[in-house]
Amino acid sequence: MKSSRASLSSILQPVFSLRRPAFCSAAPPKPQTPLHLRPPAFRAALSDLQRWQAWAKTQASSVGSTFSALDGGPDSSLLLRELNWLVEDAVEHPALLSTENKVTAEVAIRAQLEEMYELWRQRIEERRPFQYVVGCEHWRDLILSVEEGVLIPRPETETIVDLVDHAVKADEELREGLWADLGTGSGALGIAVARILGGGGRVLAVDLSPVAAAVARYNVERYCLEARVSVRVGSWFDPLKDVEGELNGVVSNPPYIPSKNIHSLQAEVSRHEPILALDGGADGMDDLIHLCHGAASMLKPRGFFAFETNGEIQSKLVLDYIQNEMEGSFCRLEIVSDFAGIQRFVTGYKA
Amino acid sequence: MEGVASALRCNSTPPICIPKSLNTTISRAEIRFSGPPRLSLSSHCIRYGSSQISPFHFSKISSRNKGDKILLAPPEAGVSTETSEWAMQDFYTLRKDVETVLERVEEIRASAGLKQLEKNLADLEEASGDSSLWNDRAKAQQTLQALTDLKEKIKLLNDFKAQAEEAETIVNLTEEMDSVDPGFLEEAVGIIKELRNALDLFELTQLLSGPYDKEGAVISITAGAGGTDAQDWADMLLRMYVRWGEKQRFKTKVVEKSMGEEAGIKSATIEVEGRYAYGYISGEKGTHRIVRQSPFNSKGLRQTSFSGVEVMPLLPEDSLNVEIPEEDLEFSFSRAGGKGGQNVNKVESAVRITHIPTGVTVRCTEERSQLANKIKGMSRLKAKLLVIAEEQRASEIKQIKGDTVKAEWGQQIRNYVFHPYKLVKDVRTGHETSDVASVMDGELEPFIKAYLKYKYSVKIEEQQS
Repeated sequence: MKSSRASLSSILQPVFSLRRPAFCSAAPPKPQTPLHLRPPAFRAALSDLQRWQAWAKTQASSVGSTFSALDGGPDSSLLLRELNWLVEDAVEHPALLSTENKVTAEVAIRAQLEEMYELWRQRIEERRPFQYVVGCEHWRDLILSVEEGVLIPRPETETIVDLVDHAVKADEELREGLWADLGTGSGALGIAVARILGGGGRVLAVDLSPVAAAVARYNVERYCLEARVSVRVGSWFDPLKDVEGELNGVVSNPPYIPSKNIHSLQAEVSRHEPILALDGGADGMDDLIHLCHGAASMLKPRGFFAFETNGEIQSKLVLDYIQNEMEGSFCRLEIVSDFAGIQRFVTGYKA
Repeated sequence: MEGVASALRCNSTPPICIPKSLNTTISRAEIRFSGPPRLSLSSHCIRYGSSQISPFHFSKISSRNKGDKILLAPPEAGVSTETSEWAMQDFYTLRKDVETVLERVEEIRASAGLKQLEKNLADLEEASGDSSLWNDRAKAQQTLQALTDLKEKIKLLNDFKAQAEEAETIVNLTEEMDSVDPGFLEEAVGIIKELRNALDLFELTQLLSGPYDKEGAVISITAGAGGTDAQDWADMLLRMYVRWGEKQRFKTKVVEKSMGEEAGIKSATIEVEGRYAYGYISGEKGTHRIVRQSPFNSKGLRQTSFSGVEVMPLLPEDSLNVEIPEEDLEFSFSRAGGKGGQNVNKVESAVRITHIPTGVTVRCTEERSQLANKIKGMSRLKAKLLVIAEEQRASEIKQIKGDTVKAEWGQQIRNYVFHPYKLVKDVRTGHETSDVASVMDGELEPFIKAYLKYKYSVKIEEQQS
């Protein structure tokens, strides 16, 4: 794994540099360019690429339901869909691949053919998450760069953006001013919230991991939001001391999985995603509790918060904690379900 | 030979004098020369798609060789009898064809109401010149679009006439001269052939008057119950429609495909972009039934499988002027059971949207994010509801009767028998062919044509009663 990553990043580094603002700290990590943004600098014979595709299909098909039986991982049909997307991202004109005439045409691709084999091998054999393979995740209307060391944004979290949208529509005063996204990872929530707020809002996106912060900055730049989203490195509210009591809103998808559960998650998650972004301590509540206290001191009166939880019981525990241990701090508390009907989010307003 | 020679002499007299005995040779020559008038939707649609190109822009069939004149003279003159006989038969055929086509062009121009169209054009031109036109932007665009469409149509009708007259001129000139220039004649034959195709197409397009007929289409195929056999059948239908789209030179894209466990597909969605794609293919919606020896059964037992096809117009987002109350919608997102959130990383983001009052559902799985699927799914749902409303002549979505939707959209429309004999037969029109292979290769025009005519006649009947 180590060596393949090294060789991969050496390929991923070239030519392109859409970046980057000056960093205060020395030698920040360099985010990788997602596959679909790399130049189509390589050529392969159509037949060779078709051979690769056929091989990759066989690999995907041979998985059957093994992964899903083992740890709830993807089955063949999901892998085949991923394969289509990999082709979409890697090949300049993907439609060429499905042409039936076997002319000796050449295709422009964004990675060398050998790397294409390596990428799919990693996907199947190492269970490397598809989003790391292509270096991006489609999330809401965004395409976010992701890489090892950064949590891949989940579709559930898309709902938090809708919750913010409702909140600012109900109280337009919330729209103008400061918001914070804590544990921003790829910057997903920070960027989406900034887009919801519009020109008058600003988002401070915080992450402890320098890798995540660098990726978040890269994504912020790709969406030209440098003026509205600032990425700060640090633990939770620590880098926000200067704005205490001034925040209009706080959102977060903190680590919430109980430590003991981590190892039994599907291999894509447990083996490849940053434990820092997943492990919420013994009962998964450590960071959520910390966030509740932080929000109480950082939010303005009538400021809004929305936190993602591990769902169901954990949502209730967070709600109970706020109601009992932090009595009077918040009002209009609510538990909101995700699209699968799992009670996923806790929201409320500073009293 | 005598007959031919005498017929030749009466060239200058009205065509009625062509001896009856010649008619058989005429039809033979016709087959040899121009082939049966065969509707080619493809060449047609391209032209319609880029209407700047005249439908009559074709290349000369053969180079004209001036030294290659065949004298229209009796065999005594020393010209090979066979050659001159063919040339003369061709000429008669041609003359007859030109007459028929001229008549047909006049009929079409009359039935299309050319005079009225010209009057409408004048009215529209006046309206579009009005300074208040742009007060209502949407209406202005509508007016201008109508103006363009009308101009195109009138131009087409005039082009038909010009082309027919050009062929007539060639015939007349040939008659006046004492000799036949084969290149010249072949040019006329070419004109007639193209013109016939164009007229066929025009007539067909006249049948397409539905509000969405001009749009692109979304075809979705779902395997029926019955496991691998049905899933393989769905896959065959997918290929058939993709081939059809490609043959029409439509931009055809399989946007979603869900593989079957062993073979074939559970479902697939094709997007077809091109003028009139929806009009042509909309009649394919319904249940398609196959009878064959199962390739998945070692005994090769006879097997019947079904697949469902749904067709919706591919409507641009801004034209979907439909508001559906949130409470009428039910979204279901596929997500692995269990805890979700950080616990799971799967790129499944399928959305299924149900319009509760009518029970109409759509799914969208091809986009890579939940929200993108939801947006695309919503526009599909709206398109589907609009089409259903139109079919049921409901002025509002609210008036749609859900129970009839299910029955109508699921109706069995065509049988494909591979065994014990070969036959594809449309249940509605009765159109059939034993050339199963061609049909599966996307040769759907005869079926489409038959259906459009059938639909048109049903409509006329309904209007009369």
